[in-house]
Amino acid sequence: MTITLYDYTLSGSCYKVRLLLRFLGLAYERQQIDFFPGRQHKSLEFLEINPLGQLPALRDGTLMLRDAQAILCHLANTYDTSGQWLPRDERFGEVMMWVMFAGGELMNSSAARLHDALGYKLDIEAARANAHAALRVLEDHMTGREIAGRKWIVGDAPTIADIACFPYIALSGDGGIGHEDYPALRNWMRDFRRLDGFHAMPGIAEFV
Amino acid sequence: MGIEHNQWRGIGLDRQVQPASSNPVIVNGEMLAMWRGENGPVRVWEDRCPHRGMRLSFGFVRGDSLRCIYHGWAYRTDGQCVEIPAHPDLTPPKTICAASYPAETRYGIVWTNLERAAPSPLPDLGPEDGWEPVRSLYVNGSAAQVEAAIEAFDFGAPSMVRLKHANAIALGIGVELELLIALQPVADNRIGLHVVARGASTPETRASLARRLQRLRTEIEMAQEKK
Amino acid sequence: MVATTDTVARNEWVPCGWLGQIAIGTNLDTMIFGQPIRVARIAQDDYHVVELSDAGTEGRSLPVQTRYNCIFTTLGEPTRALPEISEFDEPDRRIVGCGSVGVSTCPYRLIENFLDLAHLCFIHKDILGDPEKSEVLAYKTEHRKEADEIWAVDCSFYQPAASKASTSGQMTKYIYRVMSPFSVMLYKTVNSDPSRNDAICVFIQPIGETQCLAYMPMALVDDVSTDGDIIEFQQSIFLQDRVILENQRPALLPLDPTYELPTRADASSIAYRRWLKAMNIQFGILEKQAA
Repeated sequence: MTITLYDYTLSGSCYKVRLLLRFLGLAYERQQIDFFPGRQHKSLEFLEINPLGQLPALRDGTLMLRDAQAILCHLANTYDTSGQWLPRDERFGEVMMWVMFAGGELMNSSAARLHDALGYKLDIEAARANAHAALRVLEDHMTGREIAGRKWIVGDAPTIADIACFPYIALSGDGGIGHEDYPALRNWMRDFRRLDGFHAMPGIAEFV
Repeated sequence: MGIEHNQWRGIGLDRQVQPASSNPVIVNGEMLAMWRGENGPVRVWEDRCPHRGMRLSFGFVRGDSLRCIYHGWAYRTDGQCVEIPAHPDLTPPKTICAASYPAETRYGIVWTNLERAAPSPLPDLGPEDGWEPVRSLYVNGSAAQVEAAIEAFDFGAPSMVRLKHANAIALGIGVELELLIALQPVADNRIGLHVVARGASTPETRASLARRLQRLRTEIEMAQEKK
Repeated sequence: MVATTDTVARNEWVPCGWLGQIAIGTNLDTMIFGQPIRVARIAQDDYHVVELSDAGTEGRSLPVQTRYNCIFTTLGEPTRALPEISEFDEPDRRIVGCGSVGVSTCPYRLIENFLDLAHLCFIHKDILGDPEKSEVLAYKTEHRKEADEIWAVDCSFYQPAASKASTSGQMTKYIYRVMSPFSVMLYKTVNSDPSRNDAICVFIQPIGETQCLAYMPMALVDDVSTDGDIIEFQQSIFLQDRVILENQRPALLPLDPTYELPTRADASSIAYRRWLKAMNIQFGILEKQAA
């Protein structure tokens, strides 16, 4: 088996990779890392896999990658024969913009969740305010997309931009960030959950 | 606080409420579930399953029933519970009923009234037909600030207020464009705006309006920050 | 937040940390029942707990016990001892702790969710239940007066994958035991040896009326799974429940049986609420009863 995912079930970032692996129908081995309370991702052994001590990490053959966003790019680039998940035409830059947004501003939602659920010490008011600001940016974008009759962040089909942005928006309630003010995002999340090959994770309801 | 109970408030755009969906909205701190079946109009219920208090806005829709996500209790459109999966052979007692609020869809907007018993009729706010959804947006500001900002806003052509109601403003913009903006008081300093338009027939015009309304939101919130 | 004056709540043992959480020679500042406290690890197995004032000065010492992978303390004078759970003393058991998870609701909602069978096939679909097999068969509840505990026995439910060690679906038998207003456990038949039970516990640290930390120590018969696998299973189940717990309204527990409508499947919740009402506990309850 060529692919090994260093994984923690409750991690929204790991879930990004699990989503694409399932959409692409790829077989892989899962190495469970005891993120909490064991902090195994900060162990000496794991730091040799990812010197940043973060999850997910992915081994593909001799290649070792970290960063969920980079892993999504690698998997789509290498294995998606349809070209749907990572279009190489004029849509490429836009897809990458939203993929980076998912690894950037949207991670405020992950921070709020780590604070509320796992007791991480951080400025929770700032995390929530910044998460709402990020959700508002995507809400404005998806509002425009709805007016244009489109369902996905870029183009006419889901891309890794949708996969990258989905988890920490769907899980934002875990950090006290509700969806009451985001009608376009609610519709987009439902459409995403209805995709063939979609699977949920703890914190995201099974029933759409 | 002086907020009248018996008032119709816009809470969403009809065409934006997906078939077979349940959605959370808040009016003056009251939590509501705005939902629709696979077919049919939008309904507005108290966001609380009478079993163990789980929010029905997290529920899922099958056919014309809303199911609570916790134990799968199914409610039909009049609020009556019709199935309890833990007891498949039980006909649920009539006492098990979701609490509903008056709901009306008019001008392309979904309206509700927190006065269950005898709501006064929805006021006339313009022609019945021809309204297209523009967008919803949520702003940090008071109703007074939002109304003042709307009246002073540069929509790109000379605009004037046609009609002002407790929770809605109708504007004429330029020669052909009409906007109807319904105001949803969420909490003390948070207002939802639901905007529909007549005479904005192309998606490009509506998209341009939708973007312009972001600037309205920014103006209101920047004025807040200065205080 | 103001410390509760409810003596019923104050007189209970509650966790304030897990074993190994605090490095030797350091402290953890936390809160129980609105009262700030400091948990200090003086030596390997030696913990001290003191109240903290609003200004952060250390005040009176509080009683401490370490058991079931947790550090327990109390604000009052407990008449109820920590429960005896003999499974934790059996030499071949895996003792696994899952740290603690924060939840914004009253502690009683957590207990009821743990006792609840009817949600297993929806919230834990394909793991602890199958929506096609949703019926909850009648079971018995008991108030065991000598220990002053609530028990639910003869509970059985179809489960696709009842634990990390199971390989296929089966009718699983459960026994529930509520040891205090803030603690509950489950005895679950071990697949490979039906004469024994896995013991899965929840001890709740009530921080405020609508804010808790949940600790989940377990004593299991399982020599196949890794600790990581066992913890992952329990945490996944709990994070599925947490969405429900944080979205029940009101967050305080209503004792009025006409406000939230139970069915026969809710027998353990009915017994639990009746028991809470009889002990006259105020903390976290919606209808503040006459003291």
